[in-house]
Amino acid sequence: MSTQSNDGEILLSVKNLVKRFPIKGGILNREVATVRAVSDVSFDIRKGETLGLVGESGCGKSTLGRSILRLIEPTSGNIFFKGQDITKLGADEMRRLRRRMQIIFQDPYAALNPRMTVEQILSEPLEIHGLAESREAKRKRIFQLMDLVGLRRESISRYPHEFSGGQRQRICIARALAVEPEFIVCDEPVSALDVSIQAQIVNLLQDLQKELGLTYLFIAHDLKVVEHISTRVAVMYLGKIVETAESEVLYENPQHPYTRALLSAIPIPDPTIKKERIILRGDVPSPINPPAGCYFHPRCPIATQKCQEVWPKLYEINGESKIHRAACLYADRKDGPDEGILSSR
Amino acid sequence: MRSIRRLSDLEGKEAMSEKILEVKNLETSFRLEEGVVVAVAGVSFDVYKGKTLGIVGESGCGKSVTSLSIMRLIPNPPGKITGGEILYKGKNLLDFDAAAMRKVRGNEISMIFQEPMTSLNPVFTIGNQIIEAIALHQNLSKKECRNKAIEMLKLVGIPSPETRIDDYPHQLSGGMRQRVMIAMALSCNPQVLIADEPTTALDVTIQAQILELLRELQNRVGMAMILITHDLGVVAEVCDEVVVMYAGKVVEQGSVEEIFKNPKHPYTRGLLNSIPTMKKDPTGKVKKTRLETIPGIVPNMLHLPKGCRFQDRCTFVLDACRQAEPELRVIKGDDRLPHAIRCIRDI
Repeated sequence: MSTQSNDGEILLSVKNLVKRFPIKGGILNREVATVRAVSDVSFDIRKGETLGLVGESGCGKSTLGRSILRLIEPTSGNIFFKGQDITKLGADEMRRLRRRMQIIFQDPYAALNPRMTVEQILSEPLEIHGLAESREAKRKRIFQLMDLVGLRRESISRYPHEFSGGQRQRICIARALAVEPEFIVCDEPVSALDVSIQAQIVNLLQDLQKELGLTYLFIAHDLKVVEHISTRVAVMYLGKIVETAESEVLYENPQHPYTRALLSAIPIPDPTIKKERIILRGDVPSPINPPAGCYFHPRCPIATQKCQEVWPKLYEINGESKIHRAACLYADRKDGPDEGILSSR
Repeated sequence: MRSIRRLSDLEGKEAMSEKILEVKNLETSFRLEEGVVVAVAGVSFDVYKGKTLGIVGESGCGKSVTSLSIMRLIPNPPGKITGGEILYKGKNLLDFDAAAMRKVRGNEISMIFQEPMTSLNPVFTIGNQIIEAIALHQNLSKKECRNKAIEMLKLVGIPSPETRIDDYPHQLSGGMRQRVMIAMALSCNPQVLIADEPTTALDVTIQAQILELLRELQNRVGMAMILITHDLGVVAEVCDEVVVMYAGKVVEQGSVEEIFKNPKHPYTRGLLNSIPTMKKDPTGKVKKTRLETIPGIVPNMLHLPKGCRFQDRCTFVLDACRQAEPELRVIKGDDRLPHAIRCIRDI
């Protein structure tokens, strides 16, 4: 697949990534089925940008995020970080590389060891990667990190339970930053937080990006937050990317029927706006036994006979200055398919 | 012909504005090891027939405790309703004994909880659980109960309800489970439905389905609804009136149009500003500005500051705010729908 556009150096490139989880059963514990969590996903992230990854629960977005760091071993496909294929690296080399790639998790309550103080939590990465020569240097670096994420220096010897959710997420961010990474996977970093705190953390992530030149993969199900923070957005459905474009383009002019439905479902905090809503019927199908053809066709309002047969590749949408792709046979056709829409719709 | 229609319209309006539930100065406290926390400190609001009241606020502001108090489901000990009145059709629910309250609960006033998985019993079929509610409150035979349950499942849009009724909760998806909860809550045609974060655990597309369903059912049955949520987008779409709570008190209330168009309390404004919006500037380009935030965090309910509870996070704070707690004062509107704020400033 070709690269997205020419401005900026590509930091991370994912090619045909696949992750399947076997389901074992029977007396011989043989593989009876597979969950196709991520199927054939490719994308690039340029230095300094934020790629937003959205989709409903179970669409494989978190699995994808973790596979990139090889916290989950991908089944096949390649991941290039600064041109180096990291799927081929051994455990030692991978550990060294993790200095460059970090992750922030959704639940700051679960991501911190309750028996460790802030100092111990932030020391750990410094020690593992041999980043502090002396005790004084280590302390200095910890203070620096705490200042960076807006934690008060006095709280250095406190335990996680003494902090609020937002403060705990700041500790997690400081821990990720301790090893001076270039790339951070943010896996739903604000979903567990209250709105007012959410805004504080989003602003912090943006400030840090500017200050330290970070690159983010921002995974979230909140479409408003993703729009706000992302340069580009990729929409996932059942393990596949169905649409990708610059953030403004995607929100202004969505081409895939799933993206359209997703965007129309966002409640707008303005009672005077009554908008046309596309209500999808049914639930996300099971990734164990996905439907034939386009995975979205059972819920799609414009599915045709053809959609039941072929999986559409990511088509380029013409007539837009920036690259915009959608995996729909009828993307780019304003008036919908010219063939008959399935009668059950 | 025309005049008849106008008359019926008028009647409809009259019936709609009937007050069904009145919460007056409700106070609920919890006795903890560290001291007494007054989780709900003098909350008042009215709920009208056919209307939806939204209660918004961040975690710990007392919105869920308020709803549990109305249902008299506060675990005692440590919790206790320590003051106020809850008038349902003019009768104070706080005077009811356990048996009388059981007749109200699930029958007259029903509730939907946030997490459909934890609210359904995993060892009984969904049919069993819906039938239990119907059998308890209505004088129907077993067969009739089952038919009624199937009818309810059909009403909430569960496909092939005749077979689905014998499914266990784990066989259903999150959205379907929430539909089962709604079916159960509505099975006895309640007058008031309390929905505590009914869509928070669900994806946006499923959320849209559930909200649509609730609205449709409300139109059909004419019940009153209290919707508790932290999502202001949901409030704007579903509610007629809004109560904004902060640290156990109502800080602003009014019609949904007023609250969103003309928010007057600094906290309400902060909440509205901290949502990323898809605002466009005059040229039609999407504006990406820095999010406004409310500095700091909610106060510890055990050590509330003297004066206004929002003072430490407020950008408009005056000395007077630290002296005495402001009263809720009406700034606009009539008795039926006043716009009131708990703030001494006019900003």
